[in-house]
Amino acid sequence: MGDDGVGFHVVKELAKEIKDENIDVKDTSADGLNLLELIIGYDKLIVIDAIVTEGEKVGRIYRLKPEDVCEPLRSVISSHHFNLTTTLEIGKRLFPEDIPKEITVFAVGIQEVSKVTEEMTVKVKEAIPRVMDLILEEISSG
Amino acid sequence: MTRKIIIDRVTRVEGHGKVTIHLDDEGNVAQARFHVTQVRGFEKFCEGRLFWEMPVITARICGICPVSHHLASAKAGDAILGVEPPPTAKMLRRLIHMAQILQSHALHFFYLASPDLLFGMDADPAKRNIMGIIAEMPEIAKKGIKIRAFGQKIIEMLGDKRVHPNAAIPGGMNKTFSPNKRDEILSQVDDVIADCRFAVDLIKDYCAQHGEEVTSFASFSTSYLGLVDNNGNVEYYDGKLRLKDSKGNVLENDVAPENYLSIIEERAEDWSYLKSPYYKKLGYPHGMYRVGPLGRLNVADGCSTPLANKEFRDFKKLGSNGIVQGSLYYHYARMIEMLNAAEEIKSLLQDELICSKEIWVSSSIINEEGIGVIEAPRGTLFHHYWVDKSGKIRKVNLIVATGNNNLAMNRAVYEVAKEFIKNGKVTEGILNRIEVAIRCYDPCLSCSTHALGHMPLEVTIYGPDGNILQVLRR
Repeated sequence: MGDDGVGFHVVKELAKEIKDENIDVKDTSADGLNLLELIIGYDKLIVIDAIVTEGEKVGRIYRLKPEDVCEPLRSVISSHHFNLTTTLEIGKRLFPEDIPKEITVFAVGIQEVSKVTEEMTVKVKEAIPRVMDLILEEISSG
Repeated sequence: MTRKIIIDRVTRVEGHGKVTIHLDDEGNVAQARFHVTQVRGFEKFCEGRLFWEMPVITARICGICPVSHHLASAKAGDAILGVEPPPTAKMLRRLIHMAQILQSHALHFFYLASPDLLFGMDADPAKRNIMGIIAEMPEIAKKGIKIRAFGQKIIEMLGDKRVHPNAAIPGGMNKTFSPNKRDEILSQVDDVIADCRFAVDLIKDYCAQHGEEVTSFASFSTSYLGLVDNNGNVEYYDGKLRLKDSKGNVLENDVAPENYLSIIEERAEDWSYLKSPYYKKLGYPHGMYRVGPLGRLNVADGCSTPLANKEFRDFKKLGSNGIVQGSLYYHYARMIEMLNAAEEIKSLLQDELICSKEIWVSSSIINEEGIGVIEAPRGTLFHHYWVDKSGKIRKVNLIVATGNNNLAMNRAVYEVAKEFIKNGKVTEGILNRIEVAIRCYDPCLSCSTHALGHMPLEVTIYGPDGNILQVLRR
């Protein structure tokens, strides 16, 4: 929905570009254990999503590691509370062999998350080809 | 003297809530309430939508049990169309439903409830959580992941997505099940059944070792409600409603689900957004009944599958006249059901009919009313729609599992509060125990008020004059 759906649009375009059968391009709204089940068995993981920011930073692309994205491990008080770090930590501890060794997060800065719309704002839309290039470069560099 | 106690953060439940406890002049518990503080309004904003869309819209009520809403909604749609889906469609609906019971029960037991049981209710909350289990008992945590992933995989196969499925439609299902997928699942099911047996043994041993506490903790008399099949076995998808009292007497039997309003009424209270359903003939609040794993096992005569049925027999021996009342027994009942679901999955997959292409039946009828009832993981779920001649929703009534258990959860909190607050003295451990009591019911507050998001639960204790005495926070 709107700018928050930037990851979905990038993935849709990437799926057209990437022909390598060793690479799966997946669109998901999963978090927590659902996300964990989805990433088990891969060597490398690239995540693309939106990140809330302000002003000039809208449309900016951030290349991050999971630990930069959210607060570190915290007590899981409901299954709604599995953040990315917690999810990956559970994976690392339980399935150390099967969790991707290398995880990179590409985040596009957005400002509006609560507006219900299918349209993206210009700055975010313009970031799509740039982030695609960065991801393709990341893939080709191995 | 006036005292108020607030317990802030009742954790590891799904959704928002808080607890208040009122003390009398002697400082003993006069009243305890579990407030659900979120409101969502699904019933209202579905108005005007076509009934065809409802299985997909109402699945969004919950991220844990979307399949239950999806199926109850499709069943209400069947009734509006005046049709019975073909046998294969019913089998596929059962399959996805059993897969969800499996994943939801596994998530709750291994990830939300097991820390209380394996580390003890008085253990430090910093350790009494899933990360503690992973650190100290990783094999148990892995089994939880495995069982859940198996259920989620079936849901994804049938519904395209792991969370909000698109599988059932009024009149049947929207896609067939291929023999390849069937074989893939079938090759894994025995492993999952073995893991479910491990889980049953784990909770069975716990109950045996902590007999006194399990029997007395948040134990109280209520009626019980659930669906049973023609043989009186626990039934999750179809069947008739049965209601038993705390002594095991059958109060209602063979009630067609569409006649639920002849036995159930709802009361709205100004202290909670969650309505309180009760058994009509006993009135409010004496008509309090419990649903979910404990409710289902208490009303039924058996389980449909051999291993679960054997466990069912052992379980029934714990109560008088087969009625088991302690709230902690919910966990035990939940694991027997998880085993039952895994065995059911195997038996459904072994029937060739499941891969038949006849999965939908059309109809030109649009009845003005449709009711779909199902046993969701947390208990009986009612979807009741009224539509106009074009099939647009005029009115919706949803009674969800957690709603059915509302009065009982309040009572559970009261029982625990009474035990731990005497003469104005609040014993340490009350906070943990109130959490544990509520968690037995695996309440999904998002579902029950159809609300989104999460917030820790809060407990407040009031003196007789209404002043706040104490706030317990973590």
